[in-house]
Amino acid sequence: MPLPKFDYLRPQTTEELAATLAEHGADAKLFAGGTDLIVVMRDKLVRPKYVIDIKGIEELRELSWDERRGLTIGAAVTLSELIASEVVRERFGALWKAAGTLADPTIRNRATLVGNICNASPAADTAPALLVLWAEVEIVSANGKRVIPIREFFKGVKRTALEQGEFVRAVRVPNPPEGAKEDYLKWGRTRGEDLAVVGVAGLVANSGKKLVRIALSSVAPTPLIVPEVEGVFKGGGSVEGQIDKAASIVVEKISPISDVRAGKEYRLHMAGVLTKQILKRILGAS
Amino acid sequence: MSRHEISLTVNGERYELEVEANRTLLQLLREDLELTGTKQACERGDCGLCTVLLDGVPTKSCLVLAVEVDGREVTTVEGLSRGEELTPVQRAFIEQGAVQCGFCTPAFILAGEALLKHNPRPTEEEVKEAVGGILCRCTGYRQIIDAILDASKSAKK
Ligand SMILES: Cc1cc2nc3c(=O)[nH]c(=O)nc-3n(C[C@H](O)[C@H](O)[C@H](O)COP(=O)(O)OP(=O)(O)OC[C@H]3O[C@@H](n4cnc5c(N)ncnc54)[C@H](O)[C@@H]3O)c2cc1C
Ligand code: FES
Ligand code: FES
Repeated sequence: MPLPKFDYLRPQTTEELAATLAEHGADAKLFAGGTDLIVVMRDKLVRPKYVIDIKGIEELRELSWDERRGLTIGAAVTLSELIASEVVRERFGALWKAAGTLADPTIRNRATLVGNICNASPAADTAPALLVLWAEVEIVSANGKRVIPIREFFKGVKRTALEQGEFVRAVRVPNPPEGAKEDYLKWGRTRGEDLAVVGVAGLVANSGKKLVRIALSSVAPTPLIVPEVEGVFKGGGSVEGQIDKAASIVVEKISPISDVRAGKEYRLHMAGVLTKQILKRILGAS
Repeated sequence: MSRHEISLTVNGERYELEVEANRTLLQLLREDLELTGTKQACERGDCGLCTVLLDGVPTKSCLVLAVEVDGREVTTVEGLSRGEELTPVQRAFIEQGAVQCGFCTPAFILAGEALLKHNPRPTEEEVKEAVGGILCRCTGYRQIIDAILDASKSAKK
């Protein structure tokens, strides 16, 4: 079956992209890896008049790191490129791990990290890691540039903070806090390719004040971070008790639904189990 | 709908074509070039049967637009053998009985070829990972994984 009809545009610069979006924004869809876009176009859930391919823009291929600014991931960088990056593997462990759980290697050869967050599925695998790492989203339009924290980017199921005419140029990930250990756990129905029943990213940093961050996917309308666990290791009591406390806070703060992959009760239960598991793993590794 | 002139290389042969914007690479290969070794099934990225090598990289061709491959190089299963001479991966598939109905075979062979090119001595886990995006409804995968492992051993070092 042919895809619905559209015009294909391939800007060469971000200025050209911004101008094209300013002109056609309401009728246009950006096309990165297309692993979400082509599927929803085939299902006729979206019918753009213009499909704007961003892969011709050299600037969006940037994948760079420096001591001060941290990591920059341009909008055309694929998950395979991210996984192949030594800096990502060594310094941004949760993100590296999460990228490797998304779909399969063939999909990852095309799919981008920025496409994953712009698609804004509650199950987006890279989102929890970006949330615990306090990533920022660099948003550009013909009117200028703004940068927002990733936790303000997700607005609902398949809804983001992007306004008409805007696109994401890059995601920036600051260097994790001193001594941070992080991880991502994806709980699925099978070991193979599937969206997460629950995904959990955790980060524990030790710089004097034992900082904890937990973020999850597939347990609410958007991927979310649970800020209430941040100080859980500061009080007294056993580590075991503190971990249990973190898990019960998480379960209280999430609002999963039942769908084809799992029931609501199962998700609530597994979110607690996985929170404990990831904290134990991280503490065990430190 | 926009139309685009593209030139691409498929299995070493150069083509100049005009394609409509909504044509997928999969349709281009099967319908315009009549290379039907690449299979069309789910057309939504799930089954992997449409896998081809795009500049050597395994890619699900149902999720690629034909217009995007302007200037690029595509390898399909038809482009592997030299005349009657099969590649080690192809031979191993026959020897292992990794082919039943055969519908998935082109995709697995291409994924195997790409893997061995970058990683001539993969572990079993690495083989499983590399073919993880392709479904087979017949064999149960064991023979496919063994075939790729066998090919890695038989290929010249
Ligand atoms: C078989 C299969 C398995 C999958 N498995 C998983 C999985 O396990 N986990 C998971 O999280 N996802 C999964 N996905 C979904 C998808 O692969 C990912 O979300 C992927 O990261 C999307 O990236 P892309 O580059 O292909 O995005 P595209 O499809 O190109 O774009 C996605 C959306 O974002 C918009 N967009 C893209 N770039 C920008 C930009 N720079 N600025 C603004 N908007 C933009 C597009 O217009 C579109 O609406 C799967 C998909 C398939 C087909
Ligand atoms: S036909 Fe392309 S993945 Fe199924
Ligand atoms: S041999 Fe029939 S689908 Fe694999």
